[in-house]
Amino acid sequence: MVSYLIVSAALLGIGIYGLSVKRNAIRILFAVELIVNAANLNFVAFARYMNPPKISGQVIVFYSIAAAAMEAAVGLALILVAFRLNSTIDVRKLNKLKG
Amino acid sequence: MALQAKELIYGAISLAVSFIGIAGFFVSLDAPYLAMLQIAVYVGAVVVLILFTIMLVRRDEPDKDEAGETGEGAAGLWLAGLLAVSIAGIAALAGPNLPSTPPPANLPISQLGPVLAGVYPIPLIILALLLSGALLGALILAKVER
Repeated sequence: MVSYLIVSAALLGIGIYGLSVKRNAIRILFAVELIVNAANLNFVAFARYMNPPKISGQVIVFYSIAAAAMEAAVGLALILVAFRLNSTIDVRKLNKLKG
Repeated sequence: MALQAKELIYGAISLAVSFIGIAGFFVSLDAPYLAMLQIAVYVGAVVVLILFTIMLVRRDEPDKDEAGETGEGAAGLWLAGLLAVSIAGIAALAGPNLPSTPPPANLPISQLGPVLAGVYPIPLIILALLLSGALLGALILAKVER
């Protein structure tokens, strides 16, 4: 149980690092996916180690995987539009709204 | 690692490898259906979508990816490391209270369907509507105006 939680914490840490440091929008999307996967792993681990084991955790992860797939589709479409308009996907350079 | 690879394509491939690893964790947690779903959705759909997007937005010049010069890189590393270590520490401290061996498994896959459609039908419907809406929205966003 503890080992699953430690793996999940490591995934979360890598994801937060990517979110805060990286400049490429696609890499930021990678980081978001890693964080979502850390949450999924926690859900399944806690549901499995309950006494008696519950299947609701797996149901929630089912929803979460579908939501993450949607988020990736919409995020990649947004990145495509941003690239078409600005010919860069460096998020530090996408500052047109700054006056 | 998925985030540090020099070439973005290699990063996407290592992301796929880590998703397969998480699917392995799901198998070891007696959730084979979720492992199958993880491989089908993440490795099959999301990573392929990411690869297509990388090919569409590709540029030849190597762009600077780290925000290193302002010290943001080190700060982000410290933040993430501190967070991960503290969460892992809390988990390790709570370790004696957590069960170390799982209770015997009685989670057949056939139980998943009735729970999904019988106990939680409303979220399933909302999810279906949200999924079709999001995919239509992505299609409209990515459509080339002419």
